[in-house]
Amino acid sequence: MADKDSYIHLARPLPVVSVPPAQATTSPLSVVISAQALFSILDHSLRRNTDQERVIGTLLGVRSEDGAEVEIRNCFAVGHNESQEQVEVDMDYHKTMLGLHLKANPKEVLIGWYATSPELNTFSALIQNFYASNGDGTFPHPAVHLTMSTVPGQDIAIRTYISSAVGVHPDRLADSCLFVPIPYEIKYADAERSGLELISSAKNNENRSTEVTTDIHALEKALEEVLEMLDRVSEYVAGVVAGNTQASVAIGKFLMNTLSLAPKVSPADVERMFNTHIQDVLLVAYLANTIRTQIDLSNRLASANFGTTAPTPAAAATNTTAASATTASGGK
Amino acid sequence: MADKSKIVLPAFVPLKSVQVDALVVLKICKHASSAHPQVITGQLLGMASPISSSRLFNSDGILGMDVDGELQVTNSFPFPSTDPSTSSNDLDNNSASTAASAPRSKASAWYQTEMVRCLREMNVDANSVGWYQSANLGNFLSTNFVDNQYFYQNALNERTIALVHDTARSAQGALSLRAFRLAPQFMAAQKEGKFTSESLAKHNLTYKDILIELPVSIRNSHLLTTFLHQLDTPPTPDPLNPFSQPSSTPLFPNFDSLDLSIDPFLEKNCDLLLDSIETHYTELNNSQYYHRQLAREQTKIAAWLTKRKQENALRAAAKQPLLPENEWNRLFKPPVEPSRLETLLNSRQIEQYAKQVDGFTASVTAKMFAVNGGLSKTQEQL
Repeated sequence: MADKDSYIHLARPLPVVSVPPAQATTSPLSVVISAQALFSILDHSLRRNTDQERVIGTLLGVRSEDGAEVEIRNCFAVGHNESQEQVEVDMDYHKTMLGLHLKANPKEVLIGWYATSPELNTFSALIQNFYASNGDGTFPHPAVHLTMSTVPGQDIAIRTYISSAVGVHPDRLADSCLFVPIPYEIKYADAERSGLELISSAKNNENRSTEVTTDIHALEKALEEVLEMLDRVSEYVAGVVAGNTQASVAIGKFLMNTLSLAPKVSPADVERMFNTHIQDVLLVAYLANTIRTQIDLSNRLASANFGTTAPTPAAAATNTTAASATTASGGK
Repeated sequence: MADKSKIVLPAFVPLKSVQVDALVVLKICKHASSAHPQVITGQLLGMASPISSSRLFNSDGILGMDVDGELQVTNSFPFPSTDPSTSSNDLDNNSASTAASAPRSKASAWYQTEMVRCLREMNVDANSVGWYQSANLGNFLSTNFVDNQYFYQNALNERTIALVHDTARSAQGALSLRAFRLAPQFMAAQKEGKFTSESLAKHNLTYKDILIELPVSIRNSHLLTTFLHQLDTPPTPDPLNPFSQPSSTPLFPNFDSLDLSIDPFLEKNCDLLLDSIETHYTELNNSQYYHRQLAREQTKIAAWLTKRKQENALRAAAKQPLLPENEWNRLFKPPVEPSRLETLLNSRQIEQYAKQVDGFTASVTAKMFAVNGGLSKTQEQL
């Protein structure tokens, strides 16, 4: 990730109000962010009003049972107005949207909030205290604050924080808090992988778009990629053997491990397995095509002689095909 | 909204392609996989493109179209899932059917308007451009699907699409996201509400032209492109530990498509195919039954008619008043022809399965030949 800061994170600050000891843990908190939430935030940042410096929104996700791990899965935008001396967050809107989202995703809970600027100021503290508050907020769990810088032309920096109260004065409690940075990790769910792959394949295109490919194209691309990687590795190995490149123990061991993963099967076995499988595959393909033709025929017959005779030939034909298909899949 | 969009109808360039935002792709993926294998549905929102010819627009620019008939989908939200308490009781059947019909139901109409109102406040393009559904190996064709799309195309807005995300096929490597619309012939037939052989012949409708598939492309915003480039930069290895593996794998490619598991996919496909054939056979039986019934009635009517004619001939001979000859309308009721909709959809479904198998075998044979060639070579070298 772009963010490689190291953290010293010894204890999680306790909420200022006394909580039942069972819930008051000081174990470190780790945050997992799913790509979808980040994409949503970026989208929101693009759609902000021109006079707005930053936009904010609510983060939703799931929390592990002990509260030590938080996964941000979803988010929605919340309108707010910021001026020199005051900030106004549309709380009714937040509540309505939260209700609507929870209806569609009953498993998700309120996690915290995001802002699209890396800055932390008094208003941040105010909003943070709202999200962490008792009642509407995440209390007794800490509210997570995520900042994502969206300055064009610069790296997008993501930071995650939780907060603790700093007691300067009881009157100032509402608008002051200490933001404690916590580590995060970006995770791609398995189901998102193929989608993300396609999305990121568009990143080098001039028009930022790509077509949805077929299976065979995906295979071709993957094969090209593998070949390229093999070339790179053999080039490196050749370089090391010739003494041009400095050898790395880690890479050597890794290559060794990978090579030992090659299965030990006799060529005859491979040949046999190959033959049986290819027969299966071809048979199924053949049958599927036959069925397709039969269906076409049946439909044509049914619409050609409507009203007079029943489409018996097609029915009989489909019937036999069905029977043969059954034997085929039974034999597999 | 319905009558507003009617104003635009005459001036329309047909939709040619669909452009989907990366965000929508991920949202649909997440929603579909979270409920897999249950069917989920949701709403698609689109965008009023600034570069569009004005004649496509009605007064308030509700339709978001490009000049060349491209529909842009820029946001989406899921429809609320069914109550977990009911779905746990009678497992799949009930909840699946309610989820599948969600786009038309009253409850979700409320949800939809609320959500759209809220999103509009946040500058999201809050124009309905269609809906999405998840599928498993392409088994999405059902009366529900057609009804939903008909509802969207008929009641809401002509230019709406149905996006189908195939969860099972996406797990095979390549994302499967397809956009469909109902063909005009089918819309006309559906409007009449009957699918007899006669109406099919009239509208020249075969199973092949129920749906029109539109090409889908995916678009990233500039900000997202920046972010993706940043994600893909190789992580710097930890200097302290030479054995540490890079924690994050690059996004592209994911090599799932190199996977060599053939049997599960083929088996599942065969099962689905067989189910469809079964349905087809039942439908054929129904239609045969109808034809037999019809033939029986027709012989009866013919018999009655000849009898009446003879009677009339006798009466004419006896100079009595003639009996009316068209009374058979009242006496006999010809059987009603069963709807052919199910057969049509099923045929289309079978065609789809068959094509799917075709596509799969094409890539799998290539992989298998590669493995066969490669493995024996390595063995020789060892």
